[in-house]
Amino acid sequence: MLAQYGYVGILLICAIGFTVIIPLIPKILMVMGLIPTKKNPTKEGQYECGMQTIGKTWVQYNFRYYFFAVLFVLFDMLTIFLYPWAVNVTGLGVGGLIAVGIFLAILIIGYLYAWRKGALQWK
Amino acid sequence: MIMEHIQFIAPEISLLCFALLIVLLDLFITQKRVLPVLSVIGAIVAATFIIVIWNTPPVGLFDKMISIDPFGLFFKLLILAATVLVILASHNYVLKFNKFQGEYYALLMLSAVGLMLLVSAINLITIYVALELSSISLYALVSFLKDKKSSEAGLKYLILGGVASAILLYGMAFIFGLTGNTCLTCIAEYVRGMPFKDLQEVPALMIGLVLIIAGFGFKIASVPFQMWVPDVYEGAPTTITAYLSVASKAAGFGVIARVLMTVFGLPVWLHNDWAMIIAVLAAITMTVGNLVAIVQTNIKRLFGYSSIAQAGYMMVGLAAMGLTMGTKENVTGGLIFFLLSYTLTNLGAFIAIIAISNKINSDEIEDYNGMIKRSPLLALGLTICLISLAGLPPTAGLIAKIYIFSGAVNMGLAWLVVIAVINSVISAYYYFKIAKAMWLGTPVTEEKVDASWPEWLALAACVVGVLALGVVPGLFMNLTTAAVRIFGI
Amino acid sequence: MPEITYSITFYLMAAIAVAAALGVIILRDVFRAALSLILLFMTVAGIYLLLHADFLAIVQILIYVGAISVLIIVAIMLTRDARQGQPLGKIKWVAGIVALALIGVIAWGVINTAFYLSSTPPLEETVKPLGNLLFGNPGYMLTSEIAAVLLLSAILGAIAVIREK
Repeated sequence: MLAQYGYVGILLICAIGFTVIIPLIPKILMVMGLIPTKKNPTKEGQYECGMQTIGKTWVQYNFRYYFFAVLFVLFDMLTIFLYPWAVNVTGLGVGGLIAVGIFLAILIIGYLYAWRKGALQWK
Repeated sequence: MIMEHIQFIAPEISLLCFALLIVLLDLFITQKRVLPVLSVIGAIVAATFIIVIWNTPPVGLFDKMISIDPFGLFFKLLILAATVLVILASHNYVLKFNKFQGEYYALLMLSAVGLMLLVSAINLITIYVALELSSISLYALVSFLKDKKSSEAGLKYLILGGVASAILLYGMAFIFGLTGNTCLTCIAEYVRGMPFKDLQEVPALMIGLVLIIAGFGFKIASVPFQMWVPDVYEGAPTTITAYLSVASKAAGFGVIARVLMTVFGLPVWLHNDWAMIIAVLAAITMTVGNLVAIVQTNIKRLFGYSSIAQAGYMMVGLAAMGLTMGTKENVTGGLIFFLLSYTLTNLGAFIAIIAISNKINSDEIEDYNGMIKRSPLLALGLTICLISLAGLPPTAGLIAKIYIFSGAVNMGLAWLVVIAVINSVISAYYYFKIAKAMWLGTPVTEEKVDASWPEWLALAACVVGVLALGVVPGLFMNLTTAAVRIFGI
Repeated sequence: MPEITYSITFYLMAAIAVAAALGVIILRDVFRAALSLILLFMTVAGIYLLLHADFLAIVQILIYVGAISVLIIVAIMLTRDARQGQPLGKIKWVAGIVALALIGVIAWGVINTAFYLSSTPPLEETVKPLGNLLFGNPGYMLTSEIAAVLLLSAILGAIAVIREK
């Protein structure tokens, strides 16, 4: 099993290497003197990235996003319980189904609650 | 197998069902008056189930996940009693939350479910999940007022509680790593079979033990994990402060006693070690609590420190309990009796405080001046509870202290009892400071202070309980000795 | 996997994890600290993989990298000017000494203990047995249901606490 994940590791190493090396290529070429380094304001400016920002780029987000973030975490948790069950539905049989049913029923009450209280609504 | 076991967790299931019902009803009805009624009914139904299964022999359920035994059932009844009294006392208080009353009751009940599972859990995993269930509900309840102090209290409780959980988990990881088991009795078996003569030979066990004591120490507010108490008690809604100071603390003692007694009970060198840790912490805890309480001017803060000091006395009982393992002595009922007495007393005091602060909107002790003229009954009730907290006759507090201290002396902890008695004398000073303000102070206004009937009911129940425990303690002694018999003492 | 590759991978990940954890507490910029935390979560997932706990590794990435980090980052973006954390001040030294002492004690404990070693080889397939443990009989069914109640109380609590007054 580990050997298979080893390929993921190799991919990861390649990805990290790629992202580190590519931005470094111009610098390396510059140091080697292969490309000219003549600076001017237009060249240093942003290229096709819209207008220059005015004021701080840090804006305060609406706190309503937080409702979604919190609910996302909670329902994300659901998947880690449901997935192992779903992989082995037949093996777990009726007992497992009932157990998952109770599990889901409790959480659906929570979902219903969030819905009716307007936590999913953008006012 | 499952079906046979479910009847034994009927108390938790019924309480959970009522909590779910409250969540659902709250969404669809506008008449919120039903909700407290339902939650009280839920708690009473759960208590009935507990009484029905009271006499069954101890049994481990769901592959040693939780156990049903008199010890756990006693704590469950205590938690349910505290929940009912807090709900009754919340009658006027919840009006502050207008649209969010349903959540208040539901979270209170869910936290009670968590605490009930916690005291009967006999598996590290169940202990952790139940602990988190009760804690998460309490984090939300502490910050329920949404004002500056309450939010700050909630945040502090959340962060420190999270750190405490992490420490506890780390300790559990050490124990699991050493023994390869999560069920308490299996761990105990492994520990008893170890060929060691000293804790230093098994560092992992030592670190695990210390970290677990630290993690639960947060829950019972023992020094040095008591920093959160004053701020959280002051900022939280007063009803939740009352709940935290009794139910959460009682469950904390229940679970720490169970873990220490079951897992680390034998061999002898092991329980001697942790009993000494607990004894030293007890001495520091009560001294710190009492000394700092003297200078407090806010009554909720004062009760925060007072509850730290009381936790110190309870830890005396816990230490004595540890030392009894393997001996013929029977001093273990002391902790249980003390918890019973403390729960009733502290709740009674808090119910009076809730009723008073509803009217005068202040928690400063100087605003209690002349309360005897403004509301004789509330002042009288609060005074009786203060007498009991100080440990004077004819109340439960005296009997509880005698019971717990005599047990400790029998187990050779005389030095600790001397410290505890000195502390009791110190504590009388600040308890009587409140009483003096109420009886001898001159009131700012002559305006009467009254309470609603559920508050009167709850206060009356507490005061009657405190006096009954004080006058005829014999009735309850049998109960408390039965509750600890399961540890094989 | 040969022993040597295993060791190299483990120590590499452990080193990155410790560095990332240090980054979380040392970096003054809260946002960078959060990103460092994500790196920490990733390396921990890698260590889980090395321990043959592949489902746990996926869960680690799904929940911690996917959800918890989102929560943290959203929380940072909700603030107006809290990008710079508070400098630690004098408490830094006390905390450092306490932390070092704790590390010392724990390292001593870990090195000097004969931990319980399971004799069964690691499972090839982990998800199915996990499903059996979570919802099967015998298993941790009760704990799973308590976890559902825990999530419910978290939903109730979260919505009640972030309500508008």
